[in-house]
This record gives sequence, structure tokens and C-alpha cells, in this order.
Amino acid sequence: MFNRIAGIAVNTFRESVRDRVLAALIIIAIVVMASAKVIQPVALGEAEKIVKDLGLSAITLFCVLIAILVGGRIVYREVEKRTIYLLLSRPVRRTEFIIGKYLGMMLVLGVSLLILTAGFYLVLVLTGVKPDSRLLLAVVMTGFELAILTAVAVLFSTFVTPIASAVFTFLIYFIGHSTHLLKQLAAMSPVVAVKFIGLFLYYLLPNLNNFNLRGDVVHGAPLNPLAIVISIAYALVYTFTLLFIAVVIFNRRDF
Amino acid sequence: MNLTEITRPVPRGPGWLVTLLPVVLVVWGFVGVYLLQLAFDSTARPGERLVQELAYFPSGVALREMAIEYREAMADFIWLVAIDYYGRHEQTDRRYEWLGHIFEVLTTLDPRFIGAYHFGAITLAWDAHQPVEALRILFSGMKANPLNWQLPFDAGFINYILIGDYQSAAKLFQVASKLPDAWPIIERWVPYATARSGDFATAREMWKDLYYSTDNKKLKELIVRQLKWLKLEEGRAKIQKAVDRFIEKEKRVPAGIQELLERGYLQELPEEPYGGRYYLEGNQVRTTTPASRRGSG
Repeated sequence: MFNRIAGIAVNTFRESVRDRVLAALIIIAIVVMASAKVIQPVALGEAEKIVKDLGLSAITLFCVLIAILVGGRIVYREVEKRTIYLLLSRPVRRTEFIIGKYLGMMLVLGVSLLILTAGFYLVLVLTGVKPDSRLLLAVVMTGFELAILTAVAVLFSTFVTPIASAVFTFLIYFIGHSTHLLKQLAAMSPVVAVKFIGLFLYYLLPNLNNFNLRGDVVHGAPLNPLAIVISIAYALVYTFTLLFIAVVIFNRRDF
Repeated sequence: MNLTEITRPVPRGPGWLVTLLPVVLVVWGFVGVYLLQLAFDSTARPGERLVQELAYFPSGVALREMAIEYREAMADFIWLVAIDYYGRHEQTDRRYEWLGHIFEVLTTLDPRFIGAYHFGAITLAWDAHQPVEALRILFSGMKANPLNWQLPFDAGFINYILIGDYQSAAKLFQVASKLPDAWPIIERWVPYATARSGDFATAREMWKDLYYSTDNKKLKELIVRQLKWLKLEEGRAKIQKAVDRFIEKEKRVPAGIQELLERGYLQELPEEPYGGRYYLEGNQVRTTTPASRRGSG
């Protein structure tokens, strides 16, 4: 079983690496990070903060775009090109197919994160900013955020078109960073139904802000190790749940 | 095979002029766009420009929610816009109507951006002449960053130099001096404020301390301007004191500064730091340097 999943994952990785969108996004991200060098002389003593903020934000933004744009079509493309029939006629379970596709996409994102982080550290060296090991922790937490987001993209990819999947995943991403507003709404509203719906959605939707350590890391604020461990566990449980739903939907589809 | 078919000349491709035509058209298209934008910019009325400036800055709370997880990066962008805004107005009309608003938005987006509070408060207090607004921004910064010494220190400085509230200044310097990594110099500022001295020499020392504490080029320029202005005021106060003594003793207004020097009321003529000269208008000391050249006070 593991061999089959690994095979699908590696093939998904190879296929995605050939995608021009991926290469274009990585190049643009590195150019954005390098633009910090231009900003540096006009930053009036705040260059270090700007270089770090810009680098970490570019890594997150462009990896999120890769997850949404590339991840949103990995399953649909197989169905559209009818290669799914070839795959499923072999002794490959649908569950293995979904997990393999997801892991392949995570491999793409892992490699993208590595390339972008290397580019970021190069920019730090070029701009004379001391590379701080805590910055890596912020990147790792971005990786866990991407794990959830990719699972969302794969889930949508099992039953809607790539464009719809990209739109829905982006909406989940945006709402996932605004869930605190739902909690505030529930706390402020005197209507019981609004309170219930607000809290229900707050706990149902992914709280992606849990994974944003960039501000703390850049400002040198103390980090809470327990919160980090809980966030990682949250990402794993959420991802498994989404993949399970994706498998259920995919199993029900008639090919 | 027919011989004419073999020797038929190969049809020639389009000439270089035809190949180049699309490129030329595209270049001219962009030249046209550039010229039209130039024409548009020159016809925009000042009111429109003001609206455009304001349009960059919706409320900080709205921007914070729109920026989702890119608040710090958005704050950095607004920091660059704030520097540009400040620099542009510093070079032209020296009116900073939106400066407070910009720094408010900036610090709402990134409440831990100490450099923004520091620069924003000093420029607001001295260049925009809004010390109360500057203190408000600093106090909101102190709430968000209770362990940072720079913010109570800046608030104390504004209270001491601009507002003249020495009691509050002493309290704020005391608070700042007890916070982690506080600048050791602050300890010596506490007695200054407690003694309510408020004299030129103390103010000069404080500005100098501030000058050596910052890497911010614009802030350094502001401090140099303030030191120059302080020198002018110090010279003017010195001559004014001599004039008052003269009037008290001689029961008349001196004919000019030269008379003060000749009669020994003034030992030497203080230097006018802007290159102008001091003169008397009735019993008041004035300078020939116009107010617009003197910077703020």
C-alpha cells in the first residue's frame, strides 16, 4: 500500500514540478524578497524588520498561491484527462490515490518552502541582516498552515472544477484568518442563535492564525512552546479529517 | 520535372520593416500612455491630490482585517509611505495634516512597531505641532508594549520640552528607566525633570542624547534643526535679557544692539545660527531670518 501511495506522490510531484505556474510563482517570490535590498536605504533604520517581514510574508503568500492554484486541480486534472480510469483499473484504491495526491502536493510545497527559505536567507546575508534561527520556526509553522490549506484544495478538487476549487480554497483561507471576528460576534450578540452559529463556525472553520508566528519572531517576542505543539496537533487532526471527507466523496463518485 | 519549378525563386519573408513594426507600435503606445499620464498629473487639482493621499489610508481597523496574515508587511509598506509623505511635505509646504492618521493606521496594523511610534511621535510633536496627538499615539503604544522603555521616554521628553509638564515628565522618565534594557542616560534625566529646570542647556543635552540614540536619518535631521532653533532662541533670550536690564536701569529703550554692546549690557553678540542678524523692534529682539527658514520650535 505504501509503495502505491509513494508512487502516486512521486508522480504528482514530477507532474507539478513541470507546471509553469509553480516555476513562475517561485521566481516572483524570490524577486519580491530581493526587492528588500532596494527598500533598505529608504527604510530609516527599520530595514531589518522590513527585510524579515517581506521575506516571511513572500514565502507564505507564494506557497499559499501554489497550494491553491496547483493543489486545486491535481485530482480534477486526472478525471478531466481520463487518466483516472487507467489508474483505478490497476490495483490502486481510491483512498491511496487521494493520500498519494495529497502527499505529492505536500512534497511540492516542501521543496518550494526549502527553495524560498534558502532564497530568504541569501537575501538576509546580502542585506547584512543577522539570520535568526527563530525565523525558521515561522517557516515551519507556515508549512503546517499549508498542510491544512492543501487538504482543503484537494477536498474541493475531488468534486468541483479547478477554478471553483481555487475560489473556494481562497475563501476558506481568507475566512480562516478572520475567524476571531466570528468569536467576537458570538461574544457581542445578545441573540442566542447568532451566538451559537458564530461559535459553531469559529470551531468548524480552520483557525489559520494559529500558525502565524511571524510577528512574534520578527519583534523578538517570547514564544509559547505549548501553543506551538497544540497548533501542530490541530493541523494534523484537521488535515486527517479533511482528507477523510475527500476520500468519502471520491469513493462515492462514479467513474 | 519541369525546370521552371526547380528554379522558381523561394518566396521572400516579410521585410525587416514589417517585422519591426509591431515593436515600434508597442513602444509608441507606451510613449503615448506616458505622455497622457504626464498631462493628467499636471491637470489634477490640489484638492484631488489631497483626496488621493487620503485614499491610501482607510481606517486602521479595516485595513488590519483586510490584510489577514500580512499585517506586518502591510505596516512596512505604510511605513515607507509615511516616510515619503513626511519627506515630501518637509521639502515643500511643511504641513502634515495626515501624519497623525498615517501613524495611527500604521501602529494599528503592527502595534509592536516601536520605530513607528518613536518617529511618528517626534515628528508629530515638533513638525506637525501636535504634541497631544503625539502623546496619544505613545500612550497607546505603551499599552501594547508595556515592557518597552522607548515609549515612556519619548512621552516624558515631549512633556518636558514642549508641554512643560515637568511632573509628568519626571514620572515617565522614572517608568522608562526601570524597564528592561533601558538606556542608562535616562536616569540622569529624572532629576532634570524633577528640578523643573526647562533651560536651554538641559534641552540641548537632551536633544543631543536623542541624536546619538537613533539611526533614523530623518529624525537626526529634525534634531539638528531643533538644535539650531534652540541656539537662535538662546541668543535671542540673552539679548532680550540685556534689553530688559537696560530699560530697567536707563529708563529708555536702547537705540540698537550695538548700544547694548558699547554700554556693557551685552558682553558679546550671540551668533545667529541661520546666518541672519538680530535687531531690535521697540523693546523686542527679532531676527532677519524669516520664520519659514527657521524650521519648527
